[in-house]
This record gives sequence, structure tokens and C-alpha cells, in this order.
Amino acid sequence: MAAREKLGFLRQRFGAAIIRADLTSDRRLYVFVEPRSVKEVCRALFRELDARYVITIGADDRPWSGCFMVAHNFAFDRDRLLVSVMCLLPADSPRIESISDVVPAANWAEREMRDLVGIEAVGHPYPKRLVLPDGWPEGLHPLRKDVEWDEAPDCDESGAGYDFDDPPEGCTVVPFGPFHPTLDEPAHFRLYVEGETVRGCEYRGFMVHRGIEKLAESVLGYNDIPIMAERICGICGCVHNVAYAQSVEEAVALRPPPRAEYIRTIMLELERLHSHLLWVGLACHIVGFDTLFMQAFRVREPVMWIAEKISGNRKTYGLCVIGGVRWDITSELSDELKTVLDKLESEWHNVARAVKNDKNIQRRTCGVGVADASVVKEMGLIGPVARAAGVDIDCRRDHPYAAYDRVDFRVITAQSADVWGRLVVRTDEVFESISIIRQCLARLEPGPIQTPIKEDLPAGRFGLSSVEAPRGESHHFVITGENNRPRRWRVRAPTYQNLQGVPSMIRDAQLADMTIALGSIDPCFSCTDRIEAVDVRSGAVKVWTPRDLREMAKRAQSGRHIKDS
Amino acid sequence: MVFLSQLGPMAEFALFSAIKVAAVIAVTLFMVSYLVFAERKIAAAVQDRLGPNRVGPFGLLQPLADAVKALLKEEFTPANVRVVYYWLAPVIVMVPSLLVIAVIPFGSQLGAQKMVIADLNVGILYTFGIASLGVYGIVLAGYGSNSKYPFIGGLRAGAQMISYEVAMTLSVVPAFMLVGDLNLSAVVEHQAGGVLRWLAIQQPLAFLIFLATAFAETNRLPFDMPEAEQELAGGYNVEYSSIKFALFFMAEYANMIAVSAMIVTLFLGGWTLPWFGLDLPAQEGEWLKGLVHLGIFLAKVILLLLFFVWVRWMWPRLRYDQLMGLAWKRLVPLAAANIVITALWLWWRA
Repeated sequence: MAAREKLGFLRQRFGAAIIRADLTSDRRLYVFVEPRSVKEVCRALFRELDARYVITIGADDRPWSGCFMVAHNFAFDRDRLLVSVMCLLPADSPRIESISDVVPAANWAEREMRDLVGIEAVGHPYPKRLVLPDGWPEGLHPLRKDVEWDEAPDCDESGAGYDFDDPPEGCTVVPFGPFHPTLDEPAHFRLYVEGETVRGCEYRGFMVHRGIEKLAESVLGYNDIPIMAERICGICGCVHNVAYAQSVEEAVALRPPPRAEYIRTIMLELERLHSHLLWVGLACHIVGFDTLFMQAFRVREPVMWIAEKISGNRKTYGLCVIGGVRWDITSELSDELKTVLDKLESEWHNVARAVKNDKNIQRRTCGVGVADASVVKEMGLIGPVARAAGVDIDCRRDHPYAAYDRVDFRVITAQSADVWGRLVVRTDEVFESISIIRQCLARLEPGPIQTPIKEDLPAGRFGLSSVEAPRGESHHFVITGENNRPRRWRVRAPTYQNLQGVPSMIRDAQLADMTIALGSIDPCFSCTDRIEAVDVRSGAVKVWTPRDLREMAKRAQSGRHIKDS
Repeated sequence: MVFLSQLGPMAEFALFSAIKVAAVIAVTLFMVSYLVFAERKIAAAVQDRLGPNRVGPFGLLQPLADAVKALLKEEFTPANVRVVYYWLAPVIVMVPSLLVIAVIPFGSQLGAQKMVIADLNVGILYTFGIASLGVYGIVLAGYGSNSKYPFIGGLRAGAQMISYEVAMTLSVVPAFMLVGDLNLSAVVEHQAGGVLRWLAIQQPLAFLIFLATAFAETNRLPFDMPEAEQELAGGYNVEYSSIKFALFFMAEYANMIAVSAMIVTLFLGGWTLPWFGLDLPAQEGEWLKGLVHLGIFLAKVILLLLFFVWVRWMWPRLRYDQLMGLAWKRLVPLAAANIVITALWLWWRA
């Protein structure tokens, strides 16, 4: 219903600019729009209909339609609807008007689109390189179909590096990362600091961009991709695994059996448990409270053990295939899981009480890293960050998938919009996750765990999937293709949006609050770009350049080349 | 013993002072190494872990292994440091904490010798003077490292120490108004004759303020802003490694010992206990009593040290501005008010 209403609104408003609309279900709407009207359509969706911005996708569709393709995805969380505003751009001039001034949250996605696919967002307010490394040649866009998956161009290694902005008047630059004790992965923030106060920052990340999307579009097959997808994240691998499988299943109208859906739900919630437990521990560590850090990790450990028993991995890995799951939860495992949950629940009550009643933790987190509802809307923030600001969104309820429409749970929100709110939200979500797993275990019916796939998956279909990761919505977009692999697969991890909210969280904050503000979004970044080995005694310096490392990688790879023949 | 009676007074003084100095330094450094061990064991107990248990029985030889490791590690000086200050800083940090102990009366008398290295009549002024030198080492380390995180750490240390020095000094003034003497031995004598005579009981506010500032002075959690591993990656000691780093590390613990000894002397009755006549100094010949006094002092210091360790694992870190606010908006006015009230009370009583 909602989909038809929105479509009606757009048709009435833009008339002939709407070229085509696909309503694949009540919950998905794909609208093809004239390129010149895309910005206005996005404005209408974002400002007038109050849609939430999800992601912008650029795709090289030249082998099939002879065009480039751009899709802006929006979500209507109350109406359980995902909308994709799509347009085709001529192959000789892949340019489209930027929507970043209307939808500030699109800033990164449009920069990424230019880097990787070479589609220019004209009028972008900050058109700097985002994903590609320093020295990568201009004009080489790795996600184009005419670029080989293992292309390793000669980079400019003159050392000119990245062109950073000048700091504001009176500020000193303090580099935060890529190596810092509270960053578990490399990312670089250039903080502009005045005394102990942070006035602003510039972000340079994507140091661990591994090109998994390119691999999926050129080398892997449909059922290889889940195993790669989960390597996108070290903590919430299962989320990407499920999200990918669901997007393909949706594109080809395949439904996994109910038992598989329950198992997916159980594993996703197990993942949320260990992720939130880890986060509470890290947050305590960041404010210098190592005792609670250790306790949180101790309480978390049994979750890892049960995950290992189920999946063979300490994390919830290797779960999905298209049309089902690979692991079954036997009745013994189910009993053991129940015991683990009982123990966890009682122990977590203690930890949660200790955290919530600690006056000093409150002093360090209340009013720190504030991102209120307007920032959430403008920057497209999601997950616990949004819920802590009173924005009641949760994909498990708003865009139900797996078995979430068959279980009861509360969506935890807070009103304080600060780190404290995020702490409370995550702490309480643990109890909801425990309850969800119990309900799933109670309803787990016997039956198959995979729907067999009898024929080739049809090509050229679209699939969208939003999965609520522990950190927020993880969104996958798939265009199915030939040769048993997708034409385009775009992953938007939750941190992608949430990181864009960090500059406004730390502006005019204390330097000491930087780490906990950044930590509060539970960031998830993942590569070595340069190693320097110094022999002090002889004074000889051997610098390993990116080229040396690539040569080394190629030597290691020769003999087991996985390139498709 | 014949040899002793032949010494002139000057030579005798020099000999016994040297023995006392050597003994005190040996005991302090031994305590430093085992305090680190105790800290790790207690932290482990608080956090449901085992702690060091591989080297020797119950891990008791761990401090030895740590020391050997620190000494044998590669001596590395980063390229862009200001070399002189960079090398000087760890030394400057370590020395004051040892010097402070010189004026602390750590026992009554053994034989004819008073158990204090230097019985200064302005002991407390000396203590504060020397103790505040320690911050120079940290500021120098921050400046000499020529790197941003250490620099911020050094600046924080400077600001923090100055603020807390003020509160600390103000907090002990009422105690000395009661005692009427600046000599630390006199302070101990004043506290003889029952627990109620202890200055911690007579001046509870001064005691609490002093205790709080002591944490800041020793850079311990919840006041370890200059280090702040999670914010400044270790602060002033980022660029240090091997034995130079170990010196900073040892200085922190030596400082804890010095501050604990000061608190025991100033507020907790020093080497006295109010039972069995132990609050009176040992006479010449009362060797056992003299030894017991030493033991009492050590026991009090160790209990206080354990308290320091326990607090570290029970509290998160304050934020830098909260810390400065606490000093200037709470502790300094409270300490000043305490002086006025004590003065009024003494005046009224007279």
C-alpha cells in the first residue's frame, strides 16, 4: 500500500520524469527517473516525505544497457518500505547532479562512486578522494567492468600523499590514528585542537579497503560470496553473510525454509550479544575502567564457545548459503545454548547494574559526543546511535527479515543523544537478544534447512536487504547477473554512515572525549600499505613500498591463481 | 665495636647516615618491584584473572624477570627528540621521590641512632619543595620527546601538579597549626597517646583532601591524565623504551611509597601504635622495641599502598577539565576554609 502511495505521489509530482517503476513487493519500490530530475526526486523523498537516506550506488552497466547506473536508496521505516531511485547515464559522460547539498548523508557515497566507478557527482560540496589510496592514478576506476580484478597499477610513489585541508586559524593538528591504542583498526583523524578543545577534524580512512565487491563481481560465484562477505567485518560477519544471501534470495524470489530463518535469527542475535558485550567492555576500557572491561569479556566468553560449537568458529561465521543455512542447531546444542543464556542473563544483570550506577561513568559519558535527532536525520545515522537520540528505528521491526516477524521484542530507545544513551541502549538490548533467542529456540520446528536451487538464477534482477547489525543497519544491494555471479553488489556497513556523524559529535569537545565519542558508534574499519624496516646497528633503512608488497603477494599467489578461465 | 668508639662524631655521623641511606634505598627499590607485582596480582583478583604466575612460585620472581627485561632491551633514541632533555627526564623523575623519603621518620630509635636520615626542623617544607620537582621530569619528557601526544601529556602534568600542589599544601596547614612545629618527628610525637590523637581523626577534612591530592600527585587513576593510555597513548612516555621507560614506571611507584610514607607520618601516627606503650620512642638498648617501630611504620605504609592499588581498579578516569575543576572549585576552597576554621578554633580555645 505504502509503496503505491509513494509512487502515486512521485508520478503526480514529476510526471514524465518517472520513466518506469517496479513494485516487486509491498516493501520494495524501484523507480527509474530521468537523470536531470533525480536530485528533485531525492529532495521530495528526503525533505517532504521524510524518508531516511540509506546509500547511493554507482554501477557500470555498459555491457548490458550501454549505460552507467546510479541508485539512491531511501527507507520509509514506518511503512516497511525501501525505495531505490535509479537512473541510467550515458556511457560517454557519466555525470549526475550531486544530491549532497540536499541530503548531506550522501557525501561519502557520492565520493566513493566517483573513486570506484568514475561517476562524477557534479556540484559535490567536498569532492575529495575517499576510498582509493594516495598515489592511485586518476581516471582508473576499479569497479568498472573493463578493469581486471587483479589490476595493480603503478602508483605515484613520490610521497606527495593526501592533500589535507589547512587547519583553522589558531589550531594545532593532532594526528589520531592510524595507530592508536583505542583504535582496533587503522583510520586517520586529523584533529584540529585548540588547547584541549577539538575544533574540527578531517577523516582519511579506507586503509583496509580490500575490494571484496570487485572480487564478487568478477571471480566468485553466488555461494562463494557469503564466505567472503562475512570477512568484511571482524565482529559482525554473520550480518553481511545473511544480508547478502537475503538480497539474492529476494532478487530471484527464493524463500529459505522456516527452520533456516529461525537459525539465521538465532545466529544474528548471538552475534549481537557478543558484539554488545564486547562494546560495553571497550567503552569501560576507553574511560580507563579496566576492571569492568575484564568482567565484560569474561561474561562474553561462553557466547563465543557456544558459537564455536554451532558453527566451528569462535565467531558466528560460515552460516549462510543462498536459500538456507549450512549448520543445523541440534537439540543438544539448543539445550546448551539455553544454559549459556541463563547464566549470561544473570551475570549481565550484575554488569549492567554496575555500569548504570557508576557515577564516574556517567560523568564521563553524559553530554559527551552528542548527536541529536536532527544530526541523525541529516547524516543518516543508524543503530544504537540513532536510537539513543530517540529516533525509533530498528530494521528487525521496520524491515522484518528472517524470523523477526514471528518473535516479540522491544526496540530500546533513549532520549539523551549522548554516549550515555548509547551505553544504556546497548546494555538493555542484550536482554532483548536473549529473549529473542529463547523464543526462536522454542519455535524451532523440524524441517529442511536449505531450499534446493534447481536452475540458474535469473540475471538482471534487483535485490535489497537491510539487516540490523549490532552497530546499525547493514544494507546490501544486488543486481543479479550471468556466470553464476552478481553484476553489482554494494555493501553499506553501518559504520559508513555513523562515521560521518563523528565530526559533529566531537566539535568543541574535549580532546579526552574524542576516543569515547568515536568508540560510542562502535566503529568497524580493516591492510598494510607500507612497512618500514630499520636496521639500527648498520643504519641501513629498507622501505617496503606498496610495489614491493604487491610483488611479494603475486609471488605468493603464483601457482594457485584463482582467476576464472 | 672498638672501631666504632674510635670514630669522631663527624665520621660516625657520616658512616651511619650512609648505612641508613643505603638501607632506605634498598628497601624502597625492593618495595617498588614488589609493589608492581602486588598491583598486578590484586588487579587480577579484582578482575577474576590469575595474574603473573609463571616465574618462580606463585610468580614471585616476576619483578626480577621484568627488571632483566627492561635492562636488556634495546636502547633506542627516536630520531627527532631533543636529546639532552630526553635523557635527563627519566632521571629527574626518579630522584625526587627518593629524596622525599630522607626526612621521613621511619622508626623511633635503634641503639643510639634516630631512625630518620635527615631530622630537618623544616621537614615538611623540604618535602613539598622536593616533591614538586618531580613534575619537571614529566614536563621535560613531554618537551624533549618533540612529539604531540607526549607534549600534551607534559602540559597536562604541569597544570595538574601545580593545581594539586596548592590544594595539598593548603590541606596540611591546619595539621601543623595543631602541632605547632614543622619537624616531622615532632608531628609523630604529637600523635602519640591514643588513636584520637592521630591527625587523621583530629583533622579529617585535611586528611581526605591530602589523600585525594596524593592520587593526583602520583599520576594514578583516576587522575592519570598525563598518561591516559586510551587518549594520549601513554602521554609523556610514548617515545620512551627500555630502561628509560622503566625509570618512569619505577618513579610512579617510588612516588606512591613516598606519598604513603608522608600520609602515615602526617596523619596516621607515623611509627606509633597506641597500645603496649608503643607510642613512646625506644630508649637506647631497647632494640626489640625499635625494630617493632620499624615494622609498624612499614605495615602502615603497605596498607596504604594496597589502598592506592585497590582504588586504581575501582574507578574510571576523570576527564582533564573535571580534574582541574575538582582541584580549583572544590579542594582548594575547602582546604582554605579548613585553615580558617582551625585558626578560629585555636584562637577560641586559647
